[in-house]
Amino acid sequence: MKKSEEFSFDSYEESIHITGKIGLSIGLVLLIGAPFLIAKVTGSHIEWNSFWGALAKVVIIYIPSCIVEFLIYVPMLGPGACYLSFITGNITNLKLPCAFTAREIAKSEAGTPEDEIITTLSVATSSLVTMLVIFVGVLCLIPLTPILESPVLKPAFDNLLPALFGALAMQYFRKNVKLAAFPLTFMVVLCVINPAMIHQTSTLLIANGAIAIGLGYLMYKKNWL
Amino acid sequence: MQSYLSLANGIPLYLIVAVVLLFVAGFCVLFMVKSYRAGIKLGMEKKVLVRAITSSASFTVIPSISILLGVIALSGSLGIPVSWLRLSVIGNLQYEATVASIAAEGMGTKLDSSVLTMDNLVTIMLVMTIGIIWGCLCSILFLKKYSNKLKLKQGTKKEDGKKGFSSFAMVAMFIGLCATFVGSYIAQAIVSSTWVPVFTVVVAALSMALFEYLAKNKGIAFFETFSLAGSMLIAMTAAVLISL
Repeated sequence: MKKSEEFSFDSYEESIHITGKIGLSIGLVLLIGAPFLIAKVTGSHIEWNSFWGALAKVVIIYIPSCIVEFLIYVPMLGPGACYLSFITGNITNLKLPCAFTAREIAKSEAGTPEDEIITTLSVATSSLVTMLVIFVGVLCLIPLTPILESPVLKPAFDNLLPALFGALAMQYFRKNVKLAAFPLTFMVVLCVINPAMIHQTSTLLIANGAIAIGLGYLMYKKNWL
Repeated sequence: MQSYLSLANGIPLYLIVAVVLLFVAGFCVLFMVKSYRAGIKLGMEKKVLVRAITSSASFTVIPSISILLGVIALSGSLGIPVSWLRLSVIGNLQYEATVASIAAEGMGTKLDSSVLTMDNLVTIMLVMTIGIIWGCLCSILFLKKYSNKLKLKQGTKKEDGKKGFSSFAMVAMFIGLCATFVGSYIAQAIVSSTWVPVFTVVVAALSMALFEYLAKNKGIAFFETFSLAGSMLIAMTAAVLISL
């Protein structure tokens, strides 16, 4: 690869941070402003007492999980992809696998400028495609609803995540069998002993990710990777 | 007097939602153009960048249909515009459905269009929005500092020329993520004899192996670009067939 002489990756990154901060700030104002505007337009009112009660219940769960996600996703995705992911959502089930697949195809290495470009491109594309699919879906909501909700197709959408993680597991486990064995066994044993854990994947993935990183570090130190 | 659902599906709401979504779409386009141009200036090959775009687009279609199902599911109680907005930005279906229900219960009502009012709707919408903004706030306040700190760590080269641990750490984290989901499906099969998810995992994994074999041994880039989307499609079709 031949680098252009005038191009400075640091300036690019700086502009991503500036644009990201401004974009996210405007986005948040618009998002928070929307319910107020809808209330104004429709002559309705926000029920503040109920609002604070419900918000208290929600933030107790979601503030810690949002902070942990922030700490985990930034090193995995890089700044450009993170600014986009945090405003468009669906990170674990869509943006992260999408960025990792693009990274695999482009053969870029995490933390490099090339990787930062690839993950940003990937997450931006993914966000736009999702918006487009939902837009077309909303336009065709009446003819599409019976098809999408048909009992015949239900197993397909019920098994979207197994299909996604089955394919990704093959890609990643195959190259790192030693590293994958323990977290996988740990998860199976834990869920068999305590079946309630089967539906706690969003919490357990943080613990299991930490186990995999710890194990990876040991193997790295011992030159087993 | 207009009914709740006719107000919740009214044109003004569509317009408000459209403004927000157009802004977010514009933000994505801006980042896409910036990163594409930077990639070219960095000396990356155009075909690598284009393949990153096409593989991401093809992969996203199927999960997006699943998100669309979420819009359909929520639109019965919250109306189409609010569901559309909520599932297009931040959050995810699990979050939106849970929080909408917590907010509705907090107001002594439930997610049912026959009992909800517009006052309930705007309150629920505000709870759903404020409840999930923390990742965005962290990004505005700390992302630059945090990513610079990470960059410093990654920049530290080992004397023996060995790659730093940070790149392994990302792969390890992702393996942990995959192991969590796959492990839960295996356990589900053992505990409750629910075999379809495990069957889907196996079909997806085998399809991926086949796509990778074809890409490597036949040298057809198409198989690599569409490997994830193709594997998912095959596995989901298999899930439908086995459930018939």
